[in-house]
Amino acid sequence: MTSLHQDASAVFRRNPKLAWREIDGEVVIISPDDSVLHELNETASAVWRHIDGKLPLGEIVKTLAETYDAPVETVQADVEELAADLTAKNLLLTSEGEG
Amino acid sequence: MGRLARISAYTRPLHISIGNVSMSLNSSDQPLLQQARIRYRDFPGSRSDGFQITLNRPANPSPSPPNFEYCLRGSRLRVSHSKAEFIDVAHEYALDSLIRILLTVALLPKDGFLLHAASVVREGKAHVFVGRSGAGKSTVASLSPEGTVLTDEISLLRKTDGVWRAHGTPFWGEFRAGGINESYPVAAIHCLVQAAETRLEPIRPKDLLRAILPCVLFFSSGTEANGDLLNILMLFAQSIPCFRLHFRKDPSFWGAIAQ
Repeated sequence: MTSLHQDASAVFRRNPKLAWREIDGEVVIISPDDSVLHELNETASAVWRHIDGKLPLGEIVKTLAETYDAPVETVQADVEELAADLTAKNLLLTSEGEG
Repeated sequence: MGRLARISAYTRPLHISIGNVSMSLNSSDQPLLQQARIRYRDFPGSRSDGFQITLNRPANPSPSPPNFEYCLRGSRLRVSHSKAEFIDVAHEYALDSLIRILLTVALLPKDGFLLHAASVVREGKAHVFVGRSGAGKSTVASLSPEGTVLTDEISLLRKTDGVWRAHGTPFWGEFRAGGINESYPVAAIHCLVQAAETRLEPIRPKDLLRAILPCVLFFSSGTEANGDLLNILMLFAQSIPCFRLHFRKDPSFWGAIAQ
């Protein structure tokens, strides 16, 4: 598992080259360059929906912790891990980076 | 027949229609056009207002870039609105490949797509059997009654007047029988899995999407086009009963489907 830790102020955006939709409440993503289908589970889909290129990661963590009534530390660890994973797969871009 | 009449007959375009997509092949490459007349004889078109395809004509500089361009083993396809150019097509197989690619482009705005799947008609409805090479598509076709197989290789699925229909295509695999140029409402889609015992397992639309995506013929790398494709596939997956067919490669699968 990727262990890249994200700063709470880090801002992510979805790679604009991707096509994505929701089916059965979960996000599916096609990467047109390699025709790969990526599927996100319910929790990851919730994170994906909040990522808009403006909201810092810390704010997303806070919102999700309230929504799911979960400890902030636990949510933060999960979101950081997910963000690192999706960034490694070029599905998310940091505010500085281009895919 | 006079010489002029003969020349006129030789240079007339070939009109074909596959899945209600009309195409007119215009070419002076008579041997290739004659092969195409034979290959697509069961899919005649009567309209000249479909895709106008110029085949192996000298390059005509286009004032604007094409909407879609694709190269396949030395042959090239350029599509602009309702016109297409097929360039450097050496034989009928290359022509057939470019027609498939063109169809994927033409079907996208019409809620349609091509799928590596066999389609077989039973009691007036089409059952679609999807799978990669070797999954058993041709076996399904060979185990089905004569005259009921729309295709054993490439299914054309299209939503018309609110109904998903499977259209016969001239694209065939190992079955090698004549294509049926008809369409039927889709009853169900079955993802083929080879197994020791035949049984049918309902699956969720998302599972179907995962199963069929690698089997969809699609050549665009454009974000918008891929988004449109995803919309169509989701619409299909949410409208049609989806199953995983654990398949023993004998006719017992029809019994499982009937239940």
